[in-house]
Amino acid sequence: MAKVLMKGNEAIAESGIRAGGLCYFCYPITPQSEVAEYLSRRMPEVGGAFLQGESEVAVSNMLYGAAGAGVRCWTTSSSPGISLMMEALSYIAAAELPCVIVNIVRAGPGLGGILPSQGDYRQAVKGGGHGDYRCLVYAPSSVQEAVDLMPLAFDRADRYRNPVLIIGDGMIGQMMEPVEFREQEFPSLPEKNWATDGCKGRKPNVVNSLYLNPVEEEQLNRKLGEKYARMERDEVMFEEFNTGKPYRALFVAYGTTARICKTAIKKLAEEGIDVALLRPITLFPFPSERLNELAEPAEFLLSVEMSMGQMLEDIRLATCCRKPVHFYGRQGGLVPSPEEVADEVKRLLGSAKGDR
Amino acid sequence: MNPKELNSNDPVAWCPGCGNFGIREAVKRALVELELEPWQTCFVSGIGQAAKAPHYIRCNLFNGLHGRALPVATGVKLANPELVVIAEGGDGDGYAEGGNHFLHALRRNIDVTYLVHDNQVYGLTKGQASPTSDSGMKTRTTPSGSRVPAFHPLALAVALDGGYVARGLSNRVAHLAALIAGAVRHPGFALVEILQPCVSFNRVNTGQWYRERVYELADEYDPTNRELAFDLAREWGERIPIGLFYRSSRPAYPLPVPAAPPSGDTFRFLLETLR
Ligand SMILES: Cc1ncc(C[n+]2csc(CCOP(=O)(O)OP(=O)(O)O)c2C)c(N)n1
Repeated sequence: MAKVLMKGNEAIAESGIRAGGLCYFCYPITPQSEVAEYLSRRMPEVGGAFLQGESEVAVSNMLYGAAGAGVRCWTTSSSPGISLMMEALSYIAAAELPCVIVNIVRAGPGLGGILPSQGDYRQAVKGGGHGDYRCLVYAPSSVQEAVDLMPLAFDRADRYRNPVLIIGDGMIGQMMEPVEFREQEFPSLPEKNWATDGCKGRKPNVVNSLYLNPVEEEQLNRKLGEKYARMERDEVMFEEFNTGKPYRALFVAYGTTARICKTAIKKLAEEGIDVALLRPITLFPFPSERLNELAEPAEFLLSVEMSMGQMLEDIRLATCCRKPVHFYGRQGGLVPSPEEVADEVKRLLGSAKGDR
Repeated sequence: MNPKELNSNDPVAWCPGCGNFGIREAVKRALVELELEPWQTCFVSGIGQAAKAPHYIRCNLFNGLHGRALPVATGVKLANPELVVIAEGGDGDGYAEGGNHFLHALRRNIDVTYLVHDNQVYGLTKGQASPTSDSGMKTRTTPSGSRVPAFHPLALAVALDGGYVARGLSNRVAHLAALIAGAVRHPGFALVEILQPCVSFNRVNTGQWYRERVYELADEYDPTNRELAFDLAREWGERIPIGLFYRSSRPAYPLPVPAAPPSGDTFRFLLETLR
């Protein structure tokens, strides 16, 4: 198929439909309302369901209901809206139901602003809702990658019976890039014989997340824990850049900031400074193993984020602080420039070695 | 005091011709009529173009979360019963995201005034359907027309025996100012629903559209007649009534009565025990 020029939000919308996400709920919020606007036109054409809810609380529970009924369902929102969905997300994870939630992250906390940010890393990766649960979290760094990740997200949600989050910042949602909708093949999925889709010819199904018996609740937690361990084993995705030759420092960055780091790497190379990049594509599971290997030859690691440093904690954990891990970030919707990032590398290389 | 003293220096984000300007003027006039100095009131707003309104007058302002103006206003009022508390926001803010709070504020009947700027559309997020979008209305999220009937806040408010239930029009400033002043004077929950054209995102319910339909309730109309109020609250379309629809005699939610300040002795005693 030929490439078409599309705005990130609309490309995500189209890809969601093509991935079979024919049940979509939304509540308007900048900078992602274009997904909803696009789907309000497109869904009727493909016989899908589009509904603008009265709030994100409603939307996330509509999602819970549709997921329980066994259809591919999804929503998109931005940070404050996603916060309101956290309660349902915890229940969806507990009830082991598949759905996809796209967060086009904007600057926070609070109402914050509408410009790009990566401030929701912790919320996405560490929970956000209550209890011991995890979501698979994908972080595209281009419109094409966002398009490619949608079918994967729906597949993995079904395969693991777990909510999947896609974290894009406002840049990804708003920018125009040429994209191609590629057909992706996945192994067949088990039948959704747990769905509350009418119970003719079988015993009734129940969607529930209440376990008053502590032994049963513990069993659920352990079962979920094993599932998350399987994700950590099988689902890690990352990209490496410039790691094929010796390098002095290693960037760790995802999404938009990873693109900035790539430009910074090219600039630094012109000055004879070799730097590499590890770009996590899955934020959970985090590419800890590969990070450790890539950290080995580097003098230090530099986490570049549009936040006050959230992934930074996972980098330190993964490497057990064996290497100095530094942080460079911009906040509030400001995007770091490749020059700033390159200067920071030079500053760190010039300053005392081994400083933590 | 004159209304100019209530001006603020914040740059205004509204489009020229927006109904919000008339509403702001009416609010200022009502405050002047009530002789309320800025320190005697606290505005509470949610998020939206309407919810920015208190930024554009000189007042205490709690600009909280989308949809949550009423619970925040309730907190403010209970914490400081002496304050005149005025919540303000749009139809999306108040009737969708905050719909549940609206219901319970009506039921609770706490002494808070609620001004809803109703432009029948989501303005700030650029033109999606709101709960008050008329059935059939085309918006950015209802490309072939809204399929659900519009929400009628006044009918709900009357049904729940709301304290003070009124509707104004943004450019009938004197009429609206009087409704707002009445709302603040009312000792209980007071809703002033304000019809407002949105020049950018609602091309149907324009200033002219409202002008052609709106009529004022007659002077001899009796706002204690709940049945009649309910009928009028549902009148919408060809003719749209504005004015005070309904006033309930239901007691307002009890506010804490401040305890007498401790006398010198008690104060010393407390200090001793706390030492
Ligand atoms: C939790 C949350 N969801 C969504 C939004 C985005 N948002 C801001 S204002 C608004 C509604 C605006 O419409 P309305 O309340 O009718 O006010 P208007 O702008 O038309 O005056 C929305 C959906 C938000 N800020 N927070």
